[in-house]
Amino acid sequence: MRFVRHAVPVFALLSLTAFPLTAQNTGTVRGQVVDSTTRQALAGVIIQVEGTQLQTASGNDGSYTLASVPAGSVLVRATRIGYAPQRQSVTVTTGGTAEAQFALTPQASLLEAVVVTGYGTQRREAITGSVSTINPAQANVGVTTNVTQMLSGRAAGVDITLNNGEPGAGSQILIRGGSSISNSNDPLYVIDGVPINNVATEPQGMSGVVGTPALPRNPLNLLNPSDIASITVLKDASATAIYGSRAANGVILVETKKGTGGGGPSIEYDSYAAASSPARRLDVLDGDEYRAYVNPQFVTWRSDSTACAGRPACATGYADSSGGFGGIKPYALGTANTDWERAVTRTAVTHNHNLSFSGGTEDTRYRASLNYMKDDGVALSSTLQRIQGRLAGTHRALDNRLRLGVNVTTSRVNNTYLTFDNTGGFEGGVFQNVAIFDPTQPITFTDATGTHFYEGGGSSVRNPVALAKQLIDIGQTTRTLGNATAELDIAGGLTGQVTVGLDHASGGRQTYYPKESPIGDALGGGVARLVDLNNDARTLQTLLTYRRESGDRSFDVVGGYEYNKFKSDTVTASGSGFFTDAFTFDKLSAATTRNSSSGAEQSVLVSFFSRANFGYKNKYFLTAALRYDGSSKFAAGHQWSSFPGISASWHMSDEGFMQSSPFSDLRVRAGWGVQGNPGIPAYSSLALLGAGGGGTYTWGDAPQTGVAGIQNPNPDLKWERTAQFDLGVDFGLMSNRLTGSVEYYIKNTSDLLLSVKVPQPAAVEERLENVGKLRNRGVELSLDALAISRPSLTWRAGITFAASRNKVTNLGSRGTITSGGVSGQGQSGQVSQLIAPGLPLGTFYGPVFLGVDANGKQLFACSTPNTPASNCSNGSTINGSGPGAGDYQVIGNANPDFTLGFHNQITFGKLDLSFLIRASVGQDVFNNTALVYSTKGNALQGKNFLRPALTDGIGLHEPAIFSSLWIENGSFVRLQNITLEYTLNLPMLRSVQSARVYVSADNLLLLTGYSGLDPEVYASSGLASRGIDYLSYPRPRTVTGGLRLTF
Amino acid sequence: MKRTMSKRSIRGAWLAALLLGSMQACTNLDELPKSDISPGTFFNNEAEALAGLSGVYAQLRGAFPGYCCAYYALNEISTDEMVVPTRGQDWYDNGRWLEIHEQGWTPGSPSTLQDINSAWVNSFTGVANANLALSALQSRIIMDSVKQAGVIAELRALRAFYYYQLMDLFGGVPVVTTTDVAQRDRVSRDSVFKFIEAELLAARADLPRTRDAANNGRFTKGAVDAILASMYVNAGVFTKDAGQFSAVAYNSCTGITVAGGLSACQAAKDRADSTILSGVYQLADTFVKNFRADNNLSPENIFVVKFAPRDGLGFPFLQTTLHYNQFSTTPWNGFATLAQTYQAFDTLNDRRKSIFLVGPQFNVETGDTVCIRPGCAKGAPRLVFTPTIADVRAATEGEGVRIYKWPYDPNHVAQNNGNDFAYFRLAEMYLIKAEAELNGATGAPAPLALLRTVRARSFTTDTLSSVTLPVILRERLFELTFEGKRRQDLIRFGQYTAAWQFKTAGQPYLTLMPIPQSQIDANPKLVQNTGY
Repeated sequence: MRFVRHAVPVFALLSLTAFPLTAQNTGTVRGQVVDSTTRQALAGVIIQVEGTQLQTASGNDGSYTLASVPAGSVLVRATRIGYAPQRQSVTVTTGGTAEAQFALTPQASLLEAVVVTGYGTQRREAITGSVSTINPAQANVGVTTNVTQMLSGRAAGVDITLNNGEPGAGSQILIRGGSSISNSNDPLYVIDGVPINNVATEPQGMSGVVGTPALPRNPLNLLNPSDIASITVLKDASATAIYGSRAANGVILVETKKGTGGGGPSIEYDSYAAASSPARRLDVLDGDEYRAYVNPQFVTWRSDSTACAGRPACATGYADSSGGFGGIKPYALGTANTDWERAVTRTAVTHNHNLSFSGGTEDTRYRASLNYMKDDGVALSSTLQRIQGRLAGTHRALDNRLRLGVNVTTSRVNNTYLTFDNTGGFEGGVFQNVAIFDPTQPITFTDATGTHFYEGGGSSVRNPVALAKQLIDIGQTTRTLGNATAELDIAGGLTGQVTVGLDHASGGRQTYYPKESPIGDALGGGVARLVDLNNDARTLQTLLTYRRESGDRSFDVVGGYEYNKFKSDTVTASGSGFFTDAFTFDKLSAATTRNSSSGAEQSVLVSFFSRANFGYKNKYFLTAALRYDGSSKFAAGHQWSSFPGISASWHMSDEGFMQSSPFSDLRVRAGWGVQGNPGIPAYSSLALLGAGGGGTYTWGDAPQTGVAGIQNPNPDLKWERTAQFDLGVDFGLMSNRLTGSVEYYIKNTSDLLLSVKVPQPAAVEERLENVGKLRNRGVELSLDALAISRPSLTWRAGITFAASRNKVTNLGSRGTITSGGVSGQGQSGQVSQLIAPGLPLGTFYGPVFLGVDANGKQLFACSTPNTPASNCSNGSTINGSGPGAGDYQVIGNANPDFTLGFHNQITFGKLDLSFLIRASVGQDVFNNTALVYSTKGNALQGKNFLRPALTDGIGLHEPAIFSSLWIENGSFVRLQNITLEYTLNLPMLRSVQSARVYVSADNLLLLTGYSGLDPEVYASSGLASRGIDYLSYPRPRTVTGGLRLTF
Repeated sequence: MKRTMSKRSIRGAWLAALLLGSMQACTNLDELPKSDISPGTFFNNEAEALAGLSGVYAQLRGAFPGYCCAYYALNEISTDEMVVPTRGQDWYDNGRWLEIHEQGWTPGSPSTLQDINSAWVNSFTGVANANLALSALQSRIIMDSVKQAGVIAELRALRAFYYYQLMDLFGGVPVVTTTDVAQRDRVSRDSVFKFIEAELLAARADLPRTRDAANNGRFTKGAVDAILASMYVNAGVFTKDAGQFSAVAYNSCTGITVAGGLSACQAAKDRADSTILSGVYQLADTFVKNFRADNNLSPENIFVVKFAPRDGLGFPFLQTTLHYNQFSTTPWNGFATLAQTYQAFDTLNDRRKSIFLVGPQFNVETGDTVCIRPGCAKGAPRLVFTPTIADVRAATEGEGVRIYKWPYDPNHVAQNNGNDFAYFRLAEMYLIKAEAELNGATGAPAPLALLRTVRARSFTTDTLSSVTLPVILRERLFELTFEGKRRQDLIRFGQYTAAWQFKTAGQPYLTLMPIPQSQIDANPKLVQNTGY
């Protein structure tokens, strides 16, 4: 073990020293770049001498000059987004000047030719793994709060589900299907080369009062999308192997914008304002409908002898509850017509301002940017405000042999939260009450003491407007992400680099439930809670890179060491029982009952890694990577694991025999690798005793703080490993006017980390063990076409397509696992999903709904071995008895058959039109909202319900029973964004280099048969649960107008 | 030039050294938890030992609704004392509650995987925590040796009581006294019985007769005696595996020999007498004093689960039964009793009937009139509890008589009331003694006098004139309703599988709960109880 740990870097170094170090004399290369069709000069083309760090960009007239080029025959490359790269061989003499002219051909994809691949960059054609890149300029449209939103629909195999419509909402990302059941399936984010610990930066909201708090917002809200220069998604194991340990779910590499050298400083300003409103609404009864339902029901009930059987009150009147219709007695109805959903939602305004300037000399470059964003949610009291500053500086010295870089981003995000719940039971937040609050009641009423919110009282039904306005829940994160890099060319081709990264986030959350609110009142007269959370991550990286190109061969190898330390600590203080609401959470000492607590944890990840790229004749490429990782979270003796990867590609179109083929470009790739997933809590392998909480007991009258076991030890706990095989073909047709790739992958995860029941007695019921296997397979296709290319009109269109199949192949001793806990009243212990060998994650499992009988009792498919014979007849349940446990079967699959993204960019003169359409087909969604709130019996308790219940034939007294009735087809097509941009001529403002205005619309159109708010949903409801829709925050439809100026 | 080169070389060498040096450094991955405790570094002094002991006591709460609803709920809802009707959209919960009442559980059914599994895990968690503390305290002296022996005795008695719960519900289970997590075989129910008996007797020697007020709730000799008395009177069931005792006839304690060579019936009577004659306990002058929030002062309670009016430490039973509008933290309007059980009290002029809420209702705290919706003044209908439940799968809010044996605590914090729950109180010792005597144990006074002693506080004129076994069962119902005894009693008396309201007659195997399939998956050595 010890040998391997040290062998990796030693191997890397040995391979470096095998090459002679030489010094050279230099000359100059210069020339001009034009567009091959229009013959117009092309500015901003990157000109680079291959195998060196020498590069420059062409000026406005297309010309360039490269000095200090080593004498001899060199390859000069010209690359620009939207054009095919070109290279030329020129001979440079010592002190002489060689010329290289380029005429670049436009091509289909708007992608960078040089791709960031982790601990370095690679030319796109030399990449052997599966890598998607996203053009940030194209993706940063509409209201975009974070980098995750920019990926949506633009990279094949990257499936993003926003949790809900909250501003800056978090999201669930599955790259190639998700490789884990209980571990995180989030990819690893690497910003400017530094892996970041993508955990919630703000403490969760208060729980136990209104269901489970909403899911955290996206921790990446700290980064302004306008500062992003490139996004690379590493999908397969060979590409991610260099990040081995944390890469099982893919890696997202984000590079931020750096200063540009040469030319004067440039200033950019862009700004937009957006208005959004809820795209769809819950279909509840309005006041008139509710009255119209309740009044005749009352009469029906009295005259219905069946319903009255055994209920003496039916005969004598209705003035007692035993008749069962007390709740629908007209006494309770109001005269108002309140649309509670409209009352808690709004047309929200978002505005965003970015100012950046950059400049510098050839040697010293800088870029500074400032962002302000305020994004109001479409529901009351939910806002995201971001103030962010960023500085990036690079300096090169010693004839460009030493390169220094510093990036610092500091952001302050202020969040205002609406109290809504993600999952939950009886007493819910705002959206539950939107569904059930009596629509015949007013929002407020006025009496002698003033105007008050109308509250129904009792039964956990709360005025949703009052909830939204009275409960204070705010959070804020100050996060600083900084890194400093020093890179030195030690000797010919050998470069050393040291990077230090720091990621510090301080998050706070303050909650106050006033006495004025029935919730705060019931909790002891006002409840205040303050939580501070500090996350601290430090990274040290040292890299040695050796590059060499000679003749037909190119070779580079990188070896490195990385040390990551994560610390997190939290402090909570709370109090209840205030004599006034005036203090809110600012005077805990005024509370009659106070509590405080704190906690801390720490983990360490250490890695040694090495990667070698070989190229031969620019046609054959081979990449091998090996990473050796140690994580403190695993059991002693199992902390270290190695993660290899190997891949190769063959540029077939460069072969002589392909010259007459229709392919202008053709490459095949194959790769294999193993990745890990350490996404478990710190200390997971240890036996732990917890102090307080469940271990505390009362002797006499005094609570005695006790300790009790909270974790069973697992001395065998080790890495979850995913082996992935990937096969891909990249092709170009018609001079690359049509380009694309097709990929097939198969991912096998073994040693799945799962919480498994252990034999009793044990301190707790379960422990984390390495059991089980999971498989993902899939096909991905992406196509880019330059459909029209005329001087006045260009149309680029692209499609991404992905189909993936996920299957649990083994669960060890666990047998099966139930998941997808159903939320809502009367659903305690009910689950909706089954994890079992042979089934995909996200399999809905439940009884099959057959219909209703004459009495409105629900009927389910049953068989007498599974249900007592007295409850089952002719395959159907009888007498209102529910189905037996054995009658549960697979009733749906939350995974889509395939997903599609269709993006377009049309340039017509000064007009640019772009749009993105996303589709997801074949997935099922469990409409938990409809299950729970379609019960007409709600009316018996004075609660509203969903309109479809009026005609579903289910009886008034029937409970809400989970069944196939509530599993819906969730296929959809969404017009995610459409943007129209116009380039202004501003001759009167000479200093303005470019000025563009645009209008944009997000989520303008959604085609779906799904009856709920939105089929793209996530409710965190147990292990690997997918496709459950419960009272989600409505997704907005947004229209944006903006302006981009460059001075 | 040359000078520059050498400078560069030096710089390069320095950087290379830095790179190499840092690669060798920092590979230490040892973990030391910050906010939790590693058991190996704990149990070093008296305070830490008491913290461990407290954690084992705390597991006693786990048997109650609101914590997890395990042991207690199964012993009540599976009998004729309690039912949880589905009330509209409320309390369907996957059919669990009615499944328990109908005794319709199977090894993989919802109530088994949820509630029966909870009972299994809760009791074993208590065992595991006791083993953790015991393994530390039995291996070295960390405090005054008498005190340490006392703590060890408490831990052993608690562990024995958790095994008592397991033996009661499941029969034979694995008996484990070490801390390793391993797959183990079940032993016979009789072996578990003997283990519990031996442990309790060993612990008794080091336990005090009484505790001061500050330590009220901790084990005493009397608590051990009470558990033993209960075991002995149930010995006709508890020493026998499935099929060896009768599901339809009385299972007497006669003919079973227990520790000391005594017959179980005689031992039951002796242990009951040990509490009755100890001078430590006496019957409370009124019945209700045993259940009120200040029942820590009741001289009658022998072994209780302590609750306090504090968040997470309180007795939440009221929530399960009261209507939404009857208490200041909205209750859940669920648990009710059967009409037949409520009406059984009608034949007597028994003050113990006050444990039921029936008819027009009031807020238990304020005494205000309560309507089924807030707003009586606006004409909302009055909340009336009726004994009849017309359709247990579609009941209305007011159907079913409610249980108000433990009155609310004026100092309650939300649903947390401070009423202690007595597993054993002196009244039951009188009833056990009477039952043992009817089964041939020698003792005095006679059963009739014993019952009349208990009944004296609940009757103005007591007309009870003779005591037979059925009278004992009925008296236990009246005295111990909702105290978690009914399942044991019905099984002992051979009536558990009979038909009653909302339940048809069942098979004999139902007298033992199934071992949840999920537990068998985790420990394949567990053999399922016969019949499942």
